[in-house]
Formats: sequence, C-alpha cells, structure tokens
Amino acid sequence: EDAAEESNVSAELIALRKRLVDEWNAWRLLRKKEIGEKGESKKEGDEEKEEIE
Amino acid sequence: MRPILLQGHERSLTQIKFNADGDLLFSCSKDSIINVWFSHNGERLGTYEGHNGTVWTVDTDPSTELMVSGSADNSMKLWQVSTGKCLYTWEFPTAVKRVALNEEGTQIVCITEQRMGYQCAIRVFDINRDEPTKQSKEPLHMFNPVGSKATVCAFTPTPGVIITGHESGKVALFNVKSGEEIESNERAHGDVITDLQLSKDRTYCVTSSKDKSARIHDTKNLMVIKTYTTETPLNSAAIAPNRPYILLGGGQEAMSVTTTSLRQGKFETRFWHKVFEEEVGRVKGHFGPINTIAVHPNGTTYASGGEDGFVRVHHFDDSYYRAKPYGDAEILD
Repeated sequence: EDAAEESNVSAELIALRKRLVDEWNAWRLLRKKEIGEKGESKKEGDEEKEEIE
Repeated sequence: MRPILLQGHERSLTQIKFNADGDLLFSCSKDSIINVWFSHNGERLGTYEGHNGTVWTVDTDPSTELMVSGSADNSMKLWQVSTGKCLYTWEFPTAVKRVALNEEGTQIVCITEQRMGYQCAIRVFDINRDEPTKQSKEPLHMFNPVGSKATVCAFTPTPGVIITGHESGKVALFNVKSGEEIESNERAHGDVITDLQLSKDRTYCVTSSKDKSARIHDTKNLMVIKTYTTETPLNSAAIAPNRPYILLGGGQEAMSVTTTSLRQGKFETRFWHKVFEEEVGRVKGHFGPINTIAVHPNGTTYASGGEDGFVRVHHFDDSYYRAKPYGDAEILD
C-alpha cells in the first residue's frame, strides 16, 4: 500500500518503466500465442506439442 | 489484511501448496504429517498420516482427487484427498526431496537425494488413475542428472521436458526419456536453489536461492527475464496471479539469528514488483525463517509456512487490489 503513492518520479524513470512494461508484455504475448497455437493443433506422432492451460 | 494462523504442525513447515481451485491448502512438515485446510477460514479438513520422517514435498492433481508426497523415510505416497487414504507407496534408496505433477495430473516427477553411495535421481511415473491402488513400481523414466544434484523440478509445457534447479545454482532443462540435458544455465544462481514455482501457463518460472536472490526464467530457453536481489537467503518464491508481484520468503538460519535483532532476522514475506524488480512491501509475522510460500491460483490469498511451525494465511484486502505501484500500465500475467 505504502508504495502506491509515488508521484514525484522523474520523466526518465517513467520512460524506463514504460519500456520495461512494453518488453514484458511483448514477451508474454509471444509465449501465450505460442502455447495457444501449439495447443490448438494437436498433432499426432512424436512432434513436440504444448498444452493450453 | 489480518492473517489466519494455522496451528497443526509440531515442527517446521517444508512445503505448502494450494489445490487447483484454491479452496484447499496442503501443508507438509518435519513432523511427518500432511495437513489439509480450508483456505477461506483456516479450518483443518484432515490429516494424512503414514510417513515416518520429514515430509519434504507435496503436490495435487488438477481435480484434487489425488495428492502426492515425498518424504525423508525414502518413500513417495499417493493419497486419496477426500478420504485421507494412502493409495500407493513407492520405496527408494534415499529421501524424496521434491515431487511435482504434470498439468493433466497423469505423471509425477520426483527427485531423490544423493546419499550413501546413491546418486541424485530423477524419476517420472505414470499415474494409473483408473485403479489408483495399482501403480507401476518401476518408473517410466529414470536418470541421474550430471554434475550438481537437483533440488527442485517441474514439468514444462513441452511434453517430456522438465525444468530443474540444482544445489550449485544451476537451472537446466532435461529430456526425461533420454536423461539428456537439453539446456542449462550454470550461473542462474550462485548458491543452492531452494524453490521453483511455475506461472499458470508454465511458460515461465521463478526460482529462489540461498544466494539471496530470486529470478524469473523462460521455461522454453532458460533465459533470465528478471532478477530480484534481497539481503537475506531465500527459501521460497511465488508468483502472484493477476497482479504484478513476486512474493519472497527466507531469513537467516536459526544459528545466526541470536546474533542479530528480529528485524535483521528478516522473517518477512517480501513483495517485489515483477516487472520493475523493485521491492514494494513486506508482511511480518513469523518467528523464524519462512520456508515456503504459496499463492492462491486466483491471486486472492497467499500463505506462508515457517520454520516456527506455523502457516499464516492472508486474504488480500481492497487496498491490495487498488494499489498500483508505479502507474496503471497493464501488465500481462
């Protein structure tokens, strides 16, 4: 809770955090898409497949 | 956020785990029993008795019908959750330090200790769900990890591939069929890896270490995504679903505690911002190191199990959900 009020952060810090969030979200979207795709196409045989949640 | 104190163990906690629905919390301890609790009110639903030594580890299947435990009595047991009945016991030459089920609840991976001339071994068993009292005594796969012994393990989203954490601080991916090390990061941590917990979709995990840090790794390629550096050896790290936090717990060992103040003992659950790698808060409570932390699958509750023998269950209050440390950018789970 105590960390909620943080108003005096510099513009640089805001920019850094925006970049970190963008990078994180881009990586998450990529992985979510991958397991989504692999889960849908349930191929038979020895081919590697991943499951959806 | 007033915690519920669960008093049902006589010795320190080793692992706690919510079931898939989050209504139950399983706890195991050095007192050789496993307890199961209603997570909403802390009432004890039952006890699983049968192990003759420290129960190091537990896991449950997605439907909460079956539970698996591993113990210092060199056995791994399969239990019927609803009745408390032990359905099957596997015996090994050494202690079972870690068990983990796959996402479907059809396979178990377990780690047995390196001791008395026996190497650390990783075994995978199929679970016979149709006749749970009739299990195969022999593992489907077994191998000895090369180099440092494994301390923690889990199934990744890739079939036949597990992720392991090691005594040396190494994190690795193994093909369970061949025992081949597919990928490894020898310097993931500088000391023993004490815990490894997966994200909901199993595409990443968090590890904690005695090297005082925790890290997020991509379970596909072991890339280190984030690092959280604290001032105390860590015993556990958990991912909070639906909120951008990582929960860390640990503390100085009992021996060194007398020389420091309680505050320096650092028996607090630390909340770190998952993406910004900054600490955002702490929750006090335990009188000794925190050995294990678990978060409810919906992210509404968390629990910590301590060296002090207590489990503390915390239901998050409104302020937790309202708090938006460092802005309101949407952060994907």
